[in-house]
Amino acid sequence: MRVGPSQDEIRRQNLGALLRYVHVHGATTRAELTTALGLNRSTIGALTADLAAAGLVTEGAPKETGRAGRPSLVVRPESDRVFAYAYSIEVDRLRAARVGLGGAVLDRRELDRPRGLTAAEAAPLLAGAVKEMRQAMPEDAVCVGAGVAVCGMVRRDDGLVRLGPTTGWVDEPIGTALGTELGVDVPVTVGNVADVAAFAEHARGAAAGCDNVIYLYGDVGVGAGIIAAGRRLTGHGGYSGEVGHMVVVRDGARCECGNRGCWETEIGEHGLLRAAGRSDARGREAMLAVFDAADRGDAQAQIAVRQAGDWLGFGVANLVNIFNPEMVIFGGTMRDLYLAAAAQVRSRLNSNGLPACLEHVRLRTPKLGEDAPLVGAAELAFDRLLADPLDVN
Amino acid sequence: MSATPLLELRGIDKSFGPVQVLRDVAFAAYPGEVTALVGDNGAGKSTLVKCISGIYPTDAGQFVFDGRPVNIHSPRDAAALGIEVVYQDLALCDNLDIVQNMFLGREKRSGIVLDEPTMEQMAADTLAGLSVRTVKSLRQLVSSLSGGQRQTVAIAKAVLWNSKLVILDEPTAALGVAQTAQVLELVRRLADNGLAVVLISHNMNDVFAVSDRIAALYLGQMVAQVKTTDITHAQVVELITAGRSGGLGLTGEPATNGNGAAPAGSTTGGVS
Repeated sequence: MRVGPSQDEIRRQNLGALLRYVHVHGATTRAELTTALGLNRSTIGALTADLAAAGLVTEGAPKETGRAGRPSLVVRPESDRVFAYAYSIEVDRLRAARVGLGGAVLDRRELDRPRGLTAAEAAPLLAGAVKEMRQAMPEDAVCVGAGVAVCGMVRRDDGLVRLGPTTGWVDEPIGTALGTELGVDVPVTVGNVADVAAFAEHARGAAAGCDNVIYLYGDVGVGAGIIAAGRRLTGHGGYSGEVGHMVVVRDGARCECGNRGCWETEIGEHGLLRAAGRSDARGREAMLAVFDAADRGDAQAQIAVRQAGDWLGFGVANLVNIFNPEMVIFGGTMRDLYLAAAAQVRSRLNSNGLPACLEHVRLRTPKLGEDAPLVGAAELAFDRLLADPLDVN
Repeated sequence: MSATPLLELRGIDKSFGPVQVLRDVAFAAYPGEVTALVGDNGAGKSTLVKCISGIYPTDAGQFVFDGRPVNIHSPRDAAALGIEVVYQDLALCDNLDIVQNMFLGREKRSGIVLDEPTMEQMAADTLAGLSVRTVKSLRQLVSSLSGGQRQTVAIAKAVLWNSKLVILDEPTAALGVAQTAQVLELVRRLADNGLAVVLISHNMNDVFAVSDRIAALYLGQMVAQVKTTDITHAQVVELITAGRSGGLGLTGEPATNGNGAAPAGSTTGGVS
């Protein structure tokens, strides 16, 4: 029978904690690390030495502080050298990036994505972008993994995209396809775009320090990344957070998933454009055009925006009552809808939400903006490194 | 966040000759929060702001800043306390660049020459602290900036001086949808960085998008100051146009204003 964790496990845990701290907070002095991690000075010294030997961090003299005493050494993540590949497969475009340890986007490529492109077709395009980036990167750069953000339901175990209603994907093995195509000996982790963006905002964005967060991400459809008690809520198979398919209208409009009256038929692209009398238009630009028209006084656009805002508040009230989050973040097209119809969203939320659940909820827009899916996809890849820093290389 | 207001006004009266513009106004602004100040044209919003910023002397009433009673007799007093106002016309000089505008009248010097590197660094740090990505060069002339970018510069200028309370007068008026969205996010970020922000706006969307509290003025009286989670759009519109809505706002005869409306913080306690 085991009594407690072994020496080795504790050390691995501490290495991960230290690396995670500088990964999230950037360059940190040893003194600060001592306080933040609650370890003693010599332990921090030994851990830093191990990580430096593995090429994950560097130690250097700090800037002049102007204070008396020997200045504490500064531990910096090796952001330019240690990186992960991040991909984002969106409805209208494909993006690939190299993201350094510490979360900075080092290099990026963007491609248009014709609607209806399969995983097998998308992988070579992304691989091409990666080849370009590889030529530009420094020779000693080390790749620690790859992460993919995709609109669709992703099986947690192997990254199989089970159903992407808006991309038309059914059982597409994008993780495997990318792995083969890249020919790199690194694991490829796949996540749903809303989950991944929530992860990024939680690590280093608007929700830093918040443990209960709902990130609503909208494009054609709407999904949520849910963080409960500081952890990503994935569900049994990894499919949780499909809030866009909450049925809110009995026998409502037909949804791409096959049901009727899903929430996203009221607040998503199709719902807004239908209500604005522009059913033949599509895409994010068309949605933004409706907000613009409403701002300029187009009566039908104004009604459409108000209705969609009211529906947004309706669903958010349900989510707030169920999950009691401290923050709801509106990302993708939901950001634009929220900012254009906040009065309706808030009013509906305030009347439908339970007072106790509403008390501390903050409504925010993302801090990382468009980069959130890429940064989050990289976080997926870094997560493996941070769990066991010395094992990956 | 904090239950103690950074700025609290009690019983403010202000008349211009025979016209009483503010009657027994109570108002509070909290650190880390956006307090929206709403009211119809002529309700007294601008006058109240000018009293706070020291442009108009008040006839009666108390100012409490950071827990201490203070007197604000001039804009200089207000600036010394850390109160900055961004007016609708922004007061930027078109023929100067961003850094020059941000330090206008308060330039940093090293010896007898201007300390350009320090000023540029401070300006860059301030903009970075607000996650502003839209400005390409700090040496761009303000005349070349869009409306939203100008607003950003004006707000950054107000934040540069370690200010504690920033008052924004209609920051999104005359901006398009995309720029309004950016400015609203900036306003929210100011408060999330710990400042007390007062937002004057006619646009209910802006008010609901970023505010934590709403203070409604009606004909010179503060009829309600409530948390944004406790009120709906329709109620705010009623407060603005009729001075009351259900249990909120004026009660009884408007002529007898013993205490004015109490700031909501004293009755509703904790804050989101």
